[in-house]
Amino acid sequence: MGRVREGRVLKMEGNPESKISGGKICGLGQAAVQVQYNPDRLTQPMMRVGDSLQPVSWDKAMALLEEKTGPKSGINGNEFAFMTGAMSGHLKVLVQNYLDSLGSKNHFVYEALSPAVSFAANKQIYGVDMPRLHFDKAKLILSFGSDFLGTGASPVHFAKEYAKFRKAPRGTLIQIEPKMTMTGANADRWIPIIPGTEGVLALGVANQLLKHDDFSKTVPADIVNLVGKYDLDTVSSITSVRSDLIGHLAGLLWEKSPSLVISGASVEGHVHGVQNAAAIQILNRILGNVGKTVDGQAQSPFPQLAPATGSFASLKAMNDGMGAGTYKAVFIYGANPVFTTPSFMGFRDNLRKVPFKVAFVNAVDETAEECDLVLPIYTAVEDFGSHVAWYQPEGVEITMQQPLMDKLYSDTRSMGDIMLDLVKQRRADEYKAWPNFFSYLKTAVTNIKPAVKYTDTDEHFWYDTLSHGVIHVDAPQQQIAENFSTEMLDLPTTVNSPDPKFPFYLIPSERHYFRDGRHANCGWLQESPDPLTTVVWDSWAEIHPKTAASMGIHEGDYLEVSSQNGTIKVKAYLFPGIHPDAISIPLGQGHESLGRFAKGVGVNPFKILNPVFEKNTGELAMFGTRVSVKRTGQSEIVVKDEGPVSTQMGRKLVVTLPADVAQLSKEI
Amino acid sequence: MIHRLLATLCFAFLFGTAAGAEPFVQGGPIGSQTPDGYNALGPVVKQPIEFPHYRHARDMGINCMYCHTGARRGYVSVIPRIDKCIGCHQNIESVRNKPRIKKLFEYWDKKQPIPWKKVNDLPDYVRFNHERHIQRFYFRQNRPVREVCGYCHGDVANMTVDRRVKALSMGWCISCHQKDHKESDTNMKTSHGPGECWQCHK
Amino acid sequence: MSITNLLNNWSFYRQKRPYQGQYDLNRQYSEYKWAMALDLDICTGCNACTTACYAENNLPVVGKKRFNQGHVMHWIRIERYWDENMGEFPEQGASFLPMMCQQCEEAPCETVCPVGATSHTNDGLNSQNYHRCVGSRYCSVNCPYKVRYFNFWNYPSTAWPAPLPDQLNPDVTVRTKGIMEKCTFCVQRLNEAKSRARTEYRLVRDGEVVPACVQACPTSAITFGNIVDPKSKVAMMWKNQQVDLYKDMQEKDNSVRGYRILEDLRPFPSVMYLERVRDMEA
Repeated sequence: MGRVREGRVLKMEGNPESKISGGKICGLGQAAVQVQYNPDRLTQPMMRVGDSLQPVSWDKAMALLEEKTGPKSGINGNEFAFMTGAMSGHLKVLVQNYLDSLGSKNHFVYEALSPAVSFAANKQIYGVDMPRLHFDKAKLILSFGSDFLGTGASPVHFAKEYAKFRKAPRGTLIQIEPKMTMTGANADRWIPIIPGTEGVLALGVANQLLKHDDFSKTVPADIVNLVGKYDLDTVSSITSVRSDLIGHLAGLLWEKSPSLVISGASVEGHVHGVQNAAAIQILNRILGNVGKTVDGQAQSPFPQLAPATGSFASLKAMNDGMGAGTYKAVFIYGANPVFTTPSFMGFRDNLRKVPFKVAFVNAVDETAEECDLVLPIYTAVEDFGSHVAWYQPEGVEITMQQPLMDKLYSDTRSMGDIMLDLVKQRRADEYKAWPNFFSYLKTAVTNIKPAVKYTDTDEHFWYDTLSHGVIHVDAPQQQIAENFSTEMLDLPTTVNSPDPKFPFYLIPSERHYFRDGRHANCGWLQESPDPLTTVVWDSWAEIHPKTAASMGIHEGDYLEVSSQNGTIKVKAYLFPGIHPDAISIPLGQGHESLGRFAKGVGVNPFKILNPVFEKNTGELAMFGTRVSVKRTGQSEIVVKDEGPVSTQMGRKLVVTLPADVAQLSKEI
Repeated sequence: MIHRLLATLCFAFLFGTAAGAEPFVQGGPIGSQTPDGYNALGPVVKQPIEFPHYRHARDMGINCMYCHTGARRGYVSVIPRIDKCIGCHQNIESVRNKPRIKKLFEYWDKKQPIPWKKVNDLPDYVRFNHERHIQRFYFRQNRPVREVCGYCHGDVANMTVDRRVKALSMGWCISCHQKDHKESDTNMKTSHGPGECWQCHK
Repeated sequence: MSITNLLNNWSFYRQKRPYQGQYDLNRQYSEYKWAMALDLDICTGCNACTTACYAENNLPVVGKKRFNQGHVMHWIRIERYWDENMGEFPEQGASFLPMMCQQCEEAPCETVCPVGATSHTNDGLNSQNYHRCVGSRYCSVNCPYKVRYFNFWNYPSTAWPAPLPDQLNPDVTVRTKGIMEKCTFCVQRLNEAKSRARTEYRLVRDGEVVPACVQACPTSAITFGNIVDPKSKVAMMWKNQQVDLYKDMQEKDNSVRGYRILEDLRPFPSVMYLERVRDMEA
């Protein structure tokens, strides 16, 4: 939703009718207007002439597309690849239809920060990609690195759920992670841990839990046997978590039922990511949370609209194909792989080998710089569309996107219109009923009518849908399985000896405003202080004050952070919320392109990631890179909102009340 | 000049509060000053169509708010869209061939809005609320519409193209806000307009 | 204000604020007193409110260099504090504090303005008139919350490269160099709602109008409303939390969470915070 005045959209708001957002909106949503009016937006098609991109007319651009990929080009399906970011709804259907018309199966969905590992773990255990989580029913949430308030599926939705969870009777949140996230900052107890050992800790907690007869009787023998190996001392030495804390956690879980145990990116981004996640889910099994706080989502009756969330595997397949010279033409939409792929993949060089590359963008990013044809498309506030989120709390919600204003630049086009034109290259007869994407979408959406038992005319349904902005479909809940087998749990029982050359764990942290970096060119987001460090307009390396002291590092010192795959130079920020053996650099900055607010700001830690992959899924293990840290001797002030003192100096600014004193139930 | 301005300001400050019956201040002939001495007259604005206000508001007796529909319910009084003009004029054959009407239909046929120019323009930092004034004086106090609109716009019903005839300066606004006005036509209670900065300054 | 007016109402202007009966549903111009209640236990520090404020109130983006010089213009900011008795790690998490103009009743900024650019409105807001402000910055010095922001630069000419000005909210002035600005509780929204209500012979309904930050907040941590109306949610919360607008020091039970920041300085703020809760046994 948005506020419009004199044909200009001024401000975005959440749609109160959405069960996901409930009328609330995050900063990223607000910034949609800054994408719309971005001074660095691409306003006309660009074509590669020699080394540079030159403006070209749409007629010429479309003629070139026709020449290279049209029916007369002789291109066959295997020689064509279409890379998109995560997408859902009817545009996804259209992309699929285009690929079908070409006879191509090469739809590569790529998100640098995809939930693929957690999906894989959930699939193994529950038989679904993502179970539904009932925060409000849980008395205790034990979160292993899940930053549900900051990043992930839907921070706005989970923040809403979190607020319910914190109302009387107030639930307790315990967060275990190597680097404090926004969720960790809101936890009642935050426990640092050596990155990647969360699964071991979960089994250690399970070990303690099974000492209670209540639990050990209900759990299969193979789990009891496996968990038996993870006694307090072993787990404590592997994870660096004090052994009394492990017992304490087990005690709390025993006491506060039902509870909910969840895991997140910092658990999954390791070689044994799926196993880590699975080990954590075993706790839910032991505690009997499955069916109570962990449940099935609604089964969507429209599988074709369901979101494709992307995976590293598809990026790799495309990268390999490009490297081998398989593709004659590549389309890229909604993804910026040149920026988000580690340098070891050589994506940029491989992309250059493709003879014809097309990017569909709002602004020229690193990937578009490499392309032969760059087509400017409408922003989200100018275009029609439909979306389905991958986490559905109640039923299935299809979100309608409709223009809030006329196109700002006459030489931009709707992505849907372009796709429809492309489909018509080969299937003109089939699609002749629809002159544009709007009419296609209208027909397609109207087809949903029977599913929502709407009895009025098609036309009414369409306008009703647009005025509500969402379609709620009541759908039966999926049944979730409980396949907790110990075969998939092969977690180490010995301490990992660190590589002396690369003593630090690198944590490429996802910032809640930048995600993978696609929004970096918004002034509002650049100037919005990072919640935990309050740094703006920059990248920084979070390092524990103890470690920093031992190395003689002060705030603002430039550090050389090197992995096997490269070095980045970044300022130090002393941060107590990080494991002393880890160093954390936020993702999303370090752009070489994209626009004036992003270019040259900070560094890009994607580039130095090592080729470490998750065992079961082949996903890139984002948290699996080890680095060395060296002082450079240079230093510069860290620009941040926080003052020189980071405590309240005894003033009564934020007062903390112990939960046993507070009487939340008496509040309104 | 400055002295004169100061003098008029003082004048307004000292005598502005005198309560009493409100005289209906006519816009007066163009070129005149408001009674409190403000130099009122605005520049001649050349409009794309020389719109005859006198024909509509005086001769036909059409309520100002028939076209300026926003005045009773919003901050902005609204200059009507072209379809409002056409709505009537497509049925008025008698004037169809007059040059102004021909021009109007030219815009209509081209599907272009008429580029009216602003006459009563306030600075960007001021938000004048038409609704409050119309509600208070037209609906509650039951004054004639030409009088109520005329407080600020003058006798538009006797003009062809509208011209600013009041000062529309802050001192001029305040001079009226400080007067005691009757609250309704049945009630003898009086009150004056708000004096807070944020009522008008945004 | 004319001299007559001033003389007639001398005692009113000399009155110390807040006084009992200042806000009363039966008084003609004081049937509103806007106030907030902000629950620090469910504020997650996500900055959605600050971005919403940038969008609503035409706040300029100042850039890295000027941010460093302290020229940032965020009317609402999230302060982050670590616990004082923190050991090696912040085991109890961080403390987030959204800080905006507290719309004090006895506002320290109002009394020191040499030109009267900042003054109290009838509905209890601390108004800032950009056109009267001469930029002495005395108010900012006197503000204990440090929520007044000064335009050191001519942002209209630099902060919005075209076409970004198309986004600017026409209901809010774009401020120029040399003047002070601060949170207004989105007065443009309040005025519009009040006007609408008045036309319909009623008071603004509870929840009918909210500032941009309240509207955006994903956890609904901020409650906003007219505290004069005893049935409004915010008034009930204040009462329930035993915080009284007219008292400088609250006498409240230990289990009650409501408090106002820096109350002992006696500015009588209009924003009540609810204490952060932590499960100490976790």
